[in-house]
Amino acid sequence: MSGMLKLSVQNLLRHRTRSFLTMLGIAAAVGVLFSVFSFNRGFEEGLAKEMQATGLHFMVAPSGCAHEVAALVLHGAVTPNYLDTGVLEEIKNADGVSLATPILVAQLPNPDQQRIDLIYGVETDLLPEIKPGWEITGEIPNGTHEILLGYNVAEHADIKPGAEFSYPNMDTVFTVSGIIGQTSSQDDAFVYMPIATAQDLMDRPNGATAIGAKVDTPERLGTIINNLEEQVPGIQIVTMGQVMNSVANVAASAKSLSLAIALVALIIGAVGVMNSILMAVFERSQEIGMMRAIGASRWNIFQIIMKETTILTIVGGVAGIAVAMLGARLIESFVRQIMPFVPTGDMLRFDLGLALACVAFALVVGLLAGLYPAWKASRINPIEAIKG
Amino acid sequence: MITLKKVEKNYRRGAEEVRALRGIDLEIEAGEFTAVVGPSGAGKTTLLHILGCLDLPSRGELYFDGARVDKMRESELVTLRRTKIGFIFQQFYLIPGLSVVDNIALPLMFSKSQGKKDRIEELAQTVGLGERLHHVPSQLSGGEMQRTAIARALVNDPEVILADEPTGNLDSTNSEKIFDILHKLHQKGLTVIMITHNPELAQRANRTISIKDGMIA
Ligand SMILES: Nc1ncnc2c1ncn2[C@@H]1O[C@H](COP(=O)(O)OP(=O)(O)OP(=O)(O)O)[C@@H](O)[C@H]1O
Ligand SMILES: [Mg+2]
Repeated sequence: MSGMLKLSVQNLLRHRTRSFLTMLGIAAAVGVLFSVFSFNRGFEEGLAKEMQATGLHFMVAPSGCAHEVAALVLHGAVTPNYLDTGVLEEIKNADGVSLATPILVAQLPNPDQQRIDLIYGVETDLLPEIKPGWEITGEIPNGTHEILLGYNVAEHADIKPGAEFSYPNMDTVFTVSGIIGQTSSQDDAFVYMPIATAQDLMDRPNGATAIGAKVDTPERLGTIINNLEEQVPGIQIVTMGQVMNSVANVAASAKSLSLAIALVALIIGAVGVMNSILMAVFERSQEIGMMRAIGASRWNIFQIIMKETTILTIVGGVAGIAVAMLGARLIESFVRQIMPFVPTGDMLRFDLGLALACVAFALVVGLLAGLYPAWKASRINPIEAIKG
Repeated sequence: MITLKKVEKNYRRGAEEVRALRGIDLEIEAGEFTAVVGPSGAGKTTLLHILGCLDLPSRGELYFDGARVDKMRESELVTLRRTKIGFIFQQFYLIPGLSVVDNIALPLMFSKSQGKKDRIEELAQTVGLGERLHHVPSQLSGGEMQRTAIARALVNDPEVILADEPTGNLDSTNSEKIFDILHKLHQKGLTVIMITHNPELAQRANRTISIKDGMIA
C-alpha cells in the first residue's frame, strides 16, 4: 500500500462505526440507483418480448378499462366484464382484418396440484397463425376435450402428451393433445383449450374476455381500428402498442419516482460524507498542523482528505451494488407487488458497465461532498493547531 | 545560517494585541547546539516557529541560508521546511494507526520521494528503535514515541532540528536518552535548537538563549 493510501485507510479505521455508517448511507443510495436502472432495462426488454409473444395486433374489449383486459389476457387476472361474441362476425368481416378469435381467460383453482391454472380459451385452429413460433410436441387440440399445455404447466406436473387431465369436482376429463416447447414468455403458464370448452367450463356461453385480431397490413392498423370503432358500438379497441405504452408509462413514472428517491438518498449520503469527514478533520487538526510543520503543503493535506472521501464512497458504492444484487429477488418480488404488470423473467441482471457508472456517479457526488472538508483542512493554521 | 533582524511578532486575541516577540536580533550559526530557555509565555515557541519558517514575523527580517524568508511565497516556504528543517514537539504527534516505520516515513509522502526501506530502518536503529519497527504508537513508551518523532524529523536529511520541549513529557532517564540523541546529531554536524525548562540540560548545550517578555534577556 502506498503511504498516503495507508494513512487514509488508517484514518477511516480510527472511527470505524462512523465510517461504517457513512458508507452505509452511500451504499443504500447506490444500491437503489443501480436497482432502478437494472430493473428498468430488464423491464423494457421483457415487455417487448411479451408483446411480441401475444401474436396479436389489437384486442377488442368491452367498454371499460381496456388496458385491464389486455393485462388480463397477458397474465390472466379475473375481470367482471365479458364481451358478447356476437360482435365477432362483424370484426372478422371488417376491412383489413385477417384473423379474429374470441379469447376467454380465466383462473381455475386446481387444489390437487396446489396451484391455480390459467385457462386460455381460443379458436384453437387459429393458434398456428397467431403463434407461429411455438414448437408443439403433439397436436393442436381439435376436439372439445382436448387441451394444449404451456411448458411450465406440463413441467410442473410432469405431464406428457396423451395424458389425461381433470379438475376436482368436475366431470370433464381432458386429454393433453400437445405441449408447447419453452417460450420463456407468459405463454408457458397457460392451459389452452377451444373457446367453446372454456365457455362451458366457466359457464359463460358466448362470453369472451376479449377478441384478439390480426390485420393483413400492420401499417394500416390505425385506419382499420378507426373504421371498426365507428361500425361497432359498445366496444373498445386497444392495440398491443398502446398496452405496451401504458404499461411502460406506469413503469416510467415508477422509475422516475424511485430515481428521485435514489438521488435524494445519495444527497443525504453525500451530506453524511461531508459531515463525517469534516468531524474527522476537526478532530485531527493538531495532526494536520504537525504534518504542515514537517513539510506537507496545503495541497498534500487537501489530497489526503480527498483520498479518504474517495475510499469512503467507492467502498460504499461497491457494497451498495453487492447488496442490490443479493437483494435483487426481494426487490423484484416487491416490485411485482406494486406494479400492475410486470413481465416474467429476471428483471435484475448484473451489468458491469451500469454498476461502474453507478459507483462513478456516487464517487463524483462523494468527491463534491469532500471538497469543503478538504479545503477546510488545507486552511488549518499549523501554528494554532500545534499549540492546541 | 538563520538570521533574525528586529523581529517582532504580534497576535490578536480579540480586541487585544499580544506582543509575543518584541524586537529580536539573533544569528544561529550552522552546527550550533542552542538551548532556548525562559519562563512560560515568554515567547520561546513563537521564536522557534519563526526560526523554523513555520510562522512569519509581523515585523523585521528573517533569513535562512542567506535567503529572505519573510518575503517568500507559500510554496517556497513548504519546500524550505520540507528539505531543510526538522521539527520535534513535546506531544510527539505520531499518527496512531501507523507503525514506527510508517510514522518515520511520513514526510516522504509529501515530497513523493520514495523512502528507501533500508534508510528508514537505519534511522530507527540510530534512535534505538531497531526492535520496534512494526509497533504502533500505542504500544510504545513516551521515550520511544519521542525517538520515533526524532527519526521522522531526520528522514528528509534536514540542516536544522527544532525541538519544542522534547523532554517535557518524559522522565529523567528518557529525557537523558533524547538529549543524548540530539547531542550526537549535533556532533555529526546538524544544527540543533531546543527549547527546554530543564536548566541542567540547557547548561549542556553549547549556547543558551534566554527569552523574557518577548525579548532576549
Ligand atoms: N496564536 C496565538 N494567539 C494569541 N496569542 C498567542 C498565540 N500564540 C502565542 N500567544 C501568546 O504569545 C505569548 C508567547 O507564547 P509562546 O507560546 O511563544 O510562549 P512560550 O515561551 O513557548 O511558553 P511556554 O513555555 O508555556 O510554552 C503568550 O503570551 C501567548 O499567550
Ligand atoms: Mg512553548
